[in-house]
Amino acid sequence: MFDFDGTLPLMALQFLILVAVMNAVFFKPLTQAIDERDGFVRVNNSEARERLAQAKRLAEQYEQELATTQKQSQSVIAQAQAEAQKIAQDEISQARRQVQSEVMKAQEELESQKQSAFSALESQVDTLARQILEKLLGATLAS
Amino acid sequence: MHHSSLLLESLTRFSSKPLASLEVGKHLYWQMGGLKVHGQVLITSWVVIGLLVIISVLATRNIKRVPTGLQNLMEYALEFVRDLTKNQIGEKEYRPWVPFIGTLFLFIFVSNWSGALFPWKLISLPEGELAAPTNDINTTVALALCTSLAYFYAGFRKKGLGYFRKYIEPTPVLLPIAILEDFTKPLSLSFRLFGNILADELVVAVLVLLVPLIVPLPVMLLGLFTSGIQALVFATLAGAYIHEALEGHGDGEEAH
Repeated sequence: MFDFDGTLPLMALQFLILVAVMNAVFFKPLTQAIDERDGFVRVNNSEARERLAQAKRLAEQYEQELATTQKQSQSVIAQAQAEAQKIAQDEISQARRQVQSEVMKAQEELESQKQSAFSALESQVDTLARQILEKLLGATLAS
Repeated sequence: MHHSSLLLESLTRFSSKPLASLEVGKHLYWQMGGLKVHGQVLITSWVVIGLLVIISVLATRNIKRVPTGLQNLMEYALEFVRDLTKNQIGEKEYRPWVPFIGTLFLFIFVSNWSGALFPWKLISLPEGELAAPTNDINTTVALALCTSLAYFYAGFRKKGLGYFRKYIEPTPVLLPIAILEDFTKPLSLSFRLFGNILADELVVAVLVLLVPLIVPLPVMLLGLFTSGIQALVFATLAGAYIHEALEGHGDGEEAH
């Protein structure tokens, strides 16, 4: 059972050769394949993570832009409203002023006409008074 | 030839069944350049080596990023031996040792299982019988000596002659034990594997001899289990020895 002979060195030799052959056809290529796959997965993973972060950043940016735009539009609306109100106010006050001035002018005209009428009447007072006197005292005067 | 085989031969005399017989210590001798070799061991080892190489070549012939079929299986095997090596030698230095320990594991495992699964008895030889290569002491001693060489190589390459410091490092009193260890390591490695595989095959053979049906099946299953465990133990211990040589006594403690 324990007879050592040439089988031993031969077996050792062919085992060492087997190690070399297996290293070349099995361990090296498959280890490389596994490492490559690991690298591929790792790179893909980090890339996806990066992309996710970028997408999040973009979304945040968009949200911010949206908020500022909304604020801007609100301020624009408010400004426009204020402007419109101001214009309306202006126009109203202008119209009011115009109306007032027209009223004044009419009043003035009325006054002046009244005045002229009065003065015309006043100028006629003498002749009218004489006529009245003549009518009342005509007879006596004539007599 | 030896008294143990004589005992078994006397056992076979009880049975005249042709489908089971026991032969231990009989070999098919070949002459190779003045050396006598055991032909049946070499034949089965070539079959095992051929199987390993052919499967490896088929698995790595067309490597895909998403593995399928044989590539998947062999990647599983590779990751298994890689984890085994990493557990024993450590994250930092395990990589160059994966081929050695992995081949040890695969060769022993396939050898053991070939002995347990393949009906070698159907192929008759002029003398001796085909069986697992690992049930011959020459094979296991060869593997154990390769392991010894490997850990000496690992130690010398890492520390140069400082490797010898580990023999006297804690205290020179343990020097004889440290030297003895270098002999007991390959001895225990080879005899454990050899004994387990041979014993398993003998138990199966004896049971088949006594009760040819059904009864040997559980023992055969146990044999498959033992075969796997022995391959694992051999590879794990080889890794542990290499780790020991790499770490030594002095600087290794904080690395654990």
